[in-house]
Amino acid sequence: MKKLLQKIAKKSPWLYRINAGSCNGCDVELATTACIPRYDVERLGCKYCGSPKHADIVLITGPLTARVKEKVLRLYDEIPDPKVTVAIGVCPISGGVFRDSYAITGPIDNFIPVDVNVPGCPPRPQAIIDGIVEAIKIWETRL
Amino acid sequence: MTDFVQLILNLLIFPGGLFAVALGLFLMGIDRKIAARLQRRVGPPVYQPFIDLVKLTRKEMVVPGTAHLQAFWFAPLLGFAGMMAAVTLIPIAGVYQGFKYSGDLLVLLYLLALPAIALMIGGSASSSPFGAVGFSREMVMMMSYELPLLVVLVTIALKVGLATGGIATFSLSEIVQFQLENGALLFDYTMLPALLAFLVFIPGNMGVVPFDIPEAETEIVEGPILEYSGTGLALFKLMTSLKMIVVLGLAIALFFPTPLGKNFLVNLLWFFLKCLVLMVIAITVVRTSTGRVRMDQAFKFYLRYPTVLALISLVLTLLQR
Repeated sequence: MKKLLQKIAKKSPWLYRINAGSCNGCDVELATTACIPRYDVERLGCKYCGSPKHADIVLITGPLTARVKEKVLRLYDEIPDPKVTVAIGVCPISGGVFRDSYAITGPIDNFIPVDVNVPGCPPRPQAIIDGIVEAIKIWETRL
Repeated sequence: MTDFVQLILNLLIFPGGLFAVALGLFLMGIDRKIAARLQRRVGPPVYQPFIDLVKLTRKEMVVPGTAHLQAFWFAPLLGFAGMMAAVTLIPIAGVYQGFKYSGDLLVLLYLLALPAIALMIGGSASSSPFGAVGFSREMVMMMSYELPLLVVLVTIALKVGLATGGIATFSLSEIVQFQLENGALLFDYTMLPALLAFLVFIPGNMGVVPFDIPEAETEIVEGPILEYSGTGLALFKLMTSLKMIVVLGLAIALFFPTPLGKNFLVNLLWFFLKCLVLMVIAITVVRTSTGRVRMDQAFKFYLRYPTVLALISLVLTLLQR
């Protein structure tokens, strides 16, 4: 019974975007993957939700600046379990072009468990969708 | 005793309860699919709302520390229970009679206000500023769409009441019976403005895009339901799907209840088809082809056009006498 519910539930991952001080490039890319017909992610059952309380898969962009760190950690705590984190772009991995800045506290991996990395500056929509599909596989085991 | 059993069955299994929930969720899935196709997307499968519900029951429930707990959990239950009761009042011609009390239309009118009230209670109890904004917007929205609805209902009650020799009849089963004998009100020219007014009322009450101001996702991040997660959110989703059945079913009962022959199953399918067509016209096409309006614009719009249309019908009905 639990297996069956798991199997059904994995088809409804709701996405939530956190901007951790990103330059907006990856955010535009994220909006593109959902909003234009060509890369429609709703066919996977995904839905962008405005509230962290409704989210299943968290998409984090940006290098985690010092100003935004506390807020991101609080937002992450508010997301109900089970949840999966996908880091979009090269910034969450290493800081990207901002890596030597005094304003950066990243990489995000030091503070939040990241499950899937989608590198790129910005990554292609296909890569983001691939990352979401990987995240769904991980999410299924936690349901 | 058998009446009581019948009532419980009506509430839990056939027109209310399981059947209505399944029908409502299925209609929502079709709505999402058609909306996606209209935007040239592939879209989710039509059973997506069922999957969403299963998923939501498996999620953790997070409650904000400053929320008022009793009111916070009472709100989704209130909305869901109110809509469960409301569905049993909707007659389906040739399938289900509805209740034969003389005032069930008035009861339905009050029950229809419950989802908005539940959202208001939930939004204000969640202690979130977005919830509070959603609360005030929901209230303004309710005040604006209730007036045309009321005028439409009074018009139809007067029409049927005058034709059957009384003054006004607020019984849905009598209204349906009248239409079965004298032809549907859809084909009566004096009722066309009222029908238009009701069509405009539907997106406002359902809170879909041009009038999704209380739950504006991109603006006040879903407002009243922002703080709900897991089962609480699932109950709100169920409430919305049941509300859709109630509103569409009410429109069908008021304007076009005509059944197709005497077969039970055929009539049920016919009802489903009518719901589907009405939903596509009044919800799906509207929500894919418009953008959100401002609160004051929506308020003025509702007090201007649907109310005037409904009043035209009222005057025509009184003149025709």
